[in-house]
Amino acid sequence: MSYQLPAILFLLPLFAAISMPVVCLKNRHWSHPISVAILMAMVLVSILNLNNVVHHGEIRYMFSGWTAPLGIEWVADGLASVILVLLSGLGLLGVVFTGPTSPKALGGRIVHYYTLILLLLSALTGIVFARDLFNIFVFLEVAAIASYALIGIAGGRALISAFRYLILGTIGASLYLLGVSYLYAVTGTLNMTDMVDRLPFLLSSKALVGGLLFMFIGLGIKMALVPFHSWMPDAYADAPESISPILASLVTKVALLAWVRIVYWVLTASDVLLQGLIVFYDIPILRLIAVLGALAAVIGAALALAQRNLKMMFAYGGVSHIGIILIGIGQGNQTGFVGGVFYLLNDAVMQAALFYIAGVAICHYGVRTIDDLARVGKHAPWLTGCLIIVALGMIGLPPTGGFFGKWNIILGAIEAGNYFSVAAVVFSTLLTLAYFVKLFEGIFRQSSTRLDDHFGEIPLSFKLTLGITSATILLLGLFSSPIVELLLNHAMPPHL
Amino acid sequence: MVDAFSAVLQRPNFLTVVIIFLWGFYIMVTRYNLIKKLIGMYLVQTSVIFFLVSISAKKEATVPVLMSTTDPVQAAIYANPLPHVLTLTAIVVGVATLGVGLALCAAIYRKYGSLDEEEILEKLE
Repeated sequence: MSYQLPAILFLLPLFAAISMPVVCLKNRHWSHPISVAILMAMVLVSILNLNNVVHHGEIRYMFSGWTAPLGIEWVADGLASVILVLLSGLGLLGVVFTGPTSPKALGGRIVHYYTLILLLLSALTGIVFARDLFNIFVFLEVAAIASYALIGIAGGRALISAFRYLILGTIGASLYLLGVSYLYAVTGTLNMTDMVDRLPFLLSSKALVGGLLFMFIGLGIKMALVPFHSWMPDAYADAPESISPILASLVTKVALLAWVRIVYWVLTASDVLLQGLIVFYDIPILRLIAVLGALAAVIGAALALAQRNLKMMFAYGGVSHIGIILIGIGQGNQTGFVGGVFYLLNDAVMQAALFYIAGVAICHYGVRTIDDLARVGKHAPWLTGCLIIVALGMIGLPPTGGFFGKWNIILGAIEAGNYFSVAAVVFSTLLTLAYFVKLFEGIFRQSSTRLDDHFGEIPLSFKLTLGITSATILLLGLFSSPIVELLLNHAMPPHL
Repeated sequence: MVDAFSAVLQRPNFLTVVIIFLWGFYIMVTRYNLIKKLIGMYLVQTSVIFFLVSISAKKEATVPVLMSTTDPVQAAIYANPLPHVLTLTAIVVGVATLGVGLALCAAIYRKYGSLDEEEILEKLE
C-alpha cells in the first residue's frame, strides 16, 4: 500500500479536477467543499508518505511496472516528500482562502475555477516526483497552462499580464524542451538515474553544455530568475486575489526544484562532475548559479523598494528570494544546500502569507497601495499582526524560520569561500529591511487622522489562513533544528 | 571559417531548426499584433518539434514491431519510437498552449476592441 502513495498523491487532485465539472453540474456550490475535502485528504496522504519515506527509505515508483530506463520512473525521496507536505498544505490553505475572495462575476464557471486549481496542484506534484526529464516538461506545461487560465480569470488588466506570461512561459518551455532533446541526442536516455552513468564520458561534449544552458534559461524563465523575471510581478499583481498566494508560493519554487534535481541528481551525481562541469570558458555551473542568484537577490529587493502597490512589492520580494535560495543551492556543500532548501520551505510559506495579507487588504478593506494602508492600519489587528510576523521572517530575524535559512546559506558560502555570495545575502537583507520599513511607515504614520468607516470583523477563513501561515513561519523557526536534521538525513543529493 | 560553414551546410535540418526558431522569436519580439505573436510562438514550438523529428529520422527503418519472435533482434532495422512519442506529446502541449493563447486573445478583443498591443496599452493608461 505504501508503495502506491506517490501515485495516490498525484491522482487525488487529478481525478477530482476531471470529475469536478460532472459532479458539480447541477449544484455549483459543492465545488468548494469538495476541493477542501480532497486537499485535506492530500495533506494526510503526504504526511503519511513523508513518514513512510523517513522510516523505510525512498520509494521508486515504476508506472505500470515497466522498469527504469524503459518506463517512466517517479522517486519519492526525502526532498520530494517534504516539498509535497508543503505543497498540499499551502494548496489547502489557498482553497480555504478562495471561498470568500473568488471573483463574483464567474457565476457557473466557478466550477472550472476549482478544476484549474486542482489541476495545477496535481501537475506540481508531478514535477516534484518525476525522475524523467521529459515528464518534467509535460508537467511544467500543464502547471503553466493552468496558471495562465487562472490569472486570466480576473479579466481587465490581468488578460494582458496572462498573455505576456503565456508568451514568455512558452519560450521558456520550448527552450527547456530543446535542451532536453540535446541531452537525449547525446545520451540516448531521458531517465535521470540512467543519464548519470553516461555523463562522465561526455564531459567535453558541446551539445551537453548547450543543452544544459537551454534548460537553465528555460527553467530560469519559469522560476522568474532576474533577467527573465519581467512577467512575474505583473502576472501575480493582476491575478485574482485568491490565486496569487497559490501561484507565488508554489509555481516558481517548484520550477526551481526541477533545476535543483537536474543539477544535483543528474550532473553532480557522479563524483567527477561536482565542480568540474565547465559552462562558459572557465565558469563551473555551480558558480554560475550562485552569481545569478546573487544578482537576483539584490536586484529583486531593489525593485521591490521602488514599488507602491502592495502586490507588486511582494512579488518583487519573491524575485529576490528566489535569488537567495539559488545562492544556497549554488555553494556545492551540505550546509549551503540545506540552507537553500530550508529557505525554500520558509519562502513558500512567507510568499503565501504576504499575498494573503494583500488579498485581505484588497477584498475586505479595499486597500491596494502603501499610502492607503495608513487608513486601515489601526483597525485591522489581524492584518497588521500577521504583517509584522511575516516582515520578521522576510528580513530574517531570529525567532522566525527565515533567519535559520539565511544563516545556513551564509555559513555554506563562507565554507565554500564565496564572500561575494555572503555580501549579496547581507545586502539583499538590508534592502528587504528598507522596503518593510517603508511599508510600516505607511501603516503607523500619525498624520492619517481621517475618520474611518467601520470595516467589521474579517471572515473566519481569512483569520484561519493568516493565523496558520504566521504560526508556521514562527514554528519553522522554533523547530528549525529538527527540520534541518531531517533534511540533512533524508533530503541530501548523492555525493554531496 | 570555411570548415565551419561546410559543417553547417552538411546538416540542413539543424540549419532549418535554427532558422525557424529565430524567425519565430523575431516575430514574437517585433510584432505588436497579439495573433502574430502567437504565430511566432507556434513557430518556436514547431522548430523544437522539428529538431526532435530530425534527430530520430532513420533511413530504411521500419515501425518498431518485431518481425519475428525467434530471430535475434536487429536494432538497426527499426526506428526508435521514443522521439516520436515525445514529438506527439510536445505537439499536444503546444496545441493546448495555443488554445489558451487564442482564448485570451478573444477575451482581450472583447474587452478592449483591439488586438494591437500599443492600442491596448494606451487604453490601459
